[in-house]
Amino acid sequence: MNTRLDKALNLEPADGVPFLPAIYEHKAWFVGETPSKVCRDVNLFTTAAVAEYERVQPDALTIGIDVYNVEAEAVGCRVTYYKGDDVSTPAIGPDGAVFQGSSDVSSLKMPDPKKDGRMPLNIDVARRVVQVLGREVPIRGAVSGPFSMASSLVGPERLMMLTMIQPGLVKDLISFSAEVIKVYGRAFIDVGCGVIIFDSQASSELLSPATYRDLVLAPTQGIIKYFQQSGVRHVPLIIGGNTTPMLDAYLETGANNVLCDAKADVVHFLEKCSKARRSFRRNLDTSDFLEVTAKQLRRRALKTLKESNSYPGFILGTGVVPYGTPLANLVSIRDAAREFREKRK
Amino acid sequence: MTRAMSDLGEITQSLVQGRAQPVADLTQKLLDAGVAPQAILNEGLIAGMAVVGERMRSGEMYLPEVLQSASAMQTSLKILKPHLVKEGAKPLGKILLGTVKGDMHDIGKNLVGIMLQGAGFEIVDLGLNVLPEKFVEGINVHHPAVVGMSAMLTTTMLNMRTVLAALQAAGLRSEVKVIIGGAPASQRFADEIGADGYARDAVLAVHKVKELLGLAM
Repeated sequence: MNTRLDKALNLEPADGVPFLPAIYEHKAWFVGETPSKVCRDVNLFTTAAVAEYERVQPDALTIGIDVYNVEAEAVGCRVTYYKGDDVSTPAIGPDGAVFQGSSDVSSLKMPDPKKDGRMPLNIDVARRVVQVLGREVPIRGAVSGPFSMASSLVGPERLMMLTMIQPGLVKDLISFSAEVIKVYGRAFIDVGCGVIIFDSQASSELLSPATYRDLVLAPTQGIIKYFQQSGVRHVPLIIGGNTTPMLDAYLETGANNVLCDAKADVVHFLEKCSKARRSFRRNLDTSDFLEVTAKQLRRRALKTLKESNSYPGFILGTGVVPYGTPLANLVSIRDAAREFREKRK
Repeated sequence: MTRAMSDLGEITQSLVQGRAQPVADLTQKLLDAGVAPQAILNEGLIAGMAVVGERMRSGEMYLPEVLQSASAMQTSLKILKPHLVKEGAKPLGKILLGTVKGDMHDIGKNLVGIMLQGAGFEIVDLGLNVLPEKFVEGINVHHPAVVGMSAMLTTTMLNMRTVLAALQAAGLRSEVKVIIGGAPASQRFADEIGADGYARDAVLAVHKVKELLGLAM
């Protein structure tokens, strides 16, 4: 068990602040390959995940490269992979959506994590990484949130329109997605992992807090409760962008740790999360990670750490780390967090 | 207040509410009554989309509501377009939009297109995952005044630099203004790659385009 992270999640005083960089497509960089290649090769993926852990030493490791694609692809969506040395991240374009119907979601098939799409590959990577690193290391399987998965099933713009004109259909799509997510997450749990849920399409950058509450909150609560009852004590729910307007509903999901992205109001998060007794991850903006120096990032990290106001549930994180980010940049943030820990002792 | 003014106000209101049928009905009614198509566009639709833009910025409206208003606008534009063409009405300018190579996100770019169209510009949308050479081809074919590039990912954002290099190599850079946007983009990045402007959201994109083209706000 990672004591530092566990204590932060339990809001207990610890020796410092955990560091959780969002390394997904950048995993492929650790083995010198492209995300499109690594996300489809169990050996490369496993090696990349282990290399990430050994070289960056985050306080938890996420199994996932193109985290929003896997469930939707297993249901039948078409993922665009890139050829040759193109390091673009595989994604489902609007024309890759599987659901073209107008009302009935019964045509969608429930995938089997042992057989469909890349679910078995991702589960196998998780199993292998647990074997290599051991159960002391928090390893989390990445799963989509229900709104983001529904968004892949029908296309993002269409789903947004449907929330206005056919909310009943949206509810059905989200319910179906929630069941897929439970099945997939359960497969991660069965190989000794935790889970981490990503639902940035539901961010209040796009969706109103009221719509989130009407359509997304209850299914999300159901997923989190299911994972908790399946033995995962700490279920993170990651919603990017400025989620300040939706923070009340975000906390009502039952996720015991949430994301305060670089655009969100950290003071508001500190106030609300301390009242609700939840931990949160504060992200550094990664938009210039490829250009800035390690020294600059260290200064930025220290500034962000100071914003934590010594809240015991504070976790230092990053937005999605761009492919090719120099290792020294990530290490400098990690080391800044460690220095900060020493100052806090 | 004249009847026509009242109906134009009603178009604006219905557009903000995202009600396509009343917007279409009122558009036809005003045309039948002899109101100039340009007046319907400016005082009904563009005025409505300006309200939508402001409400989006202030957090009163979110993407689903904005898309519904845009859909209502499109319904009216379909009716208006032949009349506008006949009248010889000119758009404020032509804008070429695209999400750069490797990026499959297009909601933000589409939203910018909606708001620009709502402000009176003509939009040529190249779609998503657009290669640099397609931007070059788009400029050669459509001769836009402004090119807007979007990227949602920190990695793909770097491809904006490649597009600018392609425009330079093709000798087209001085012929168009280039603005960028998308979650990871910033003014600093725009300056660094030599873009003419950056807009944080769709409403600011309209302001920026107008500013670059020297149009009154």
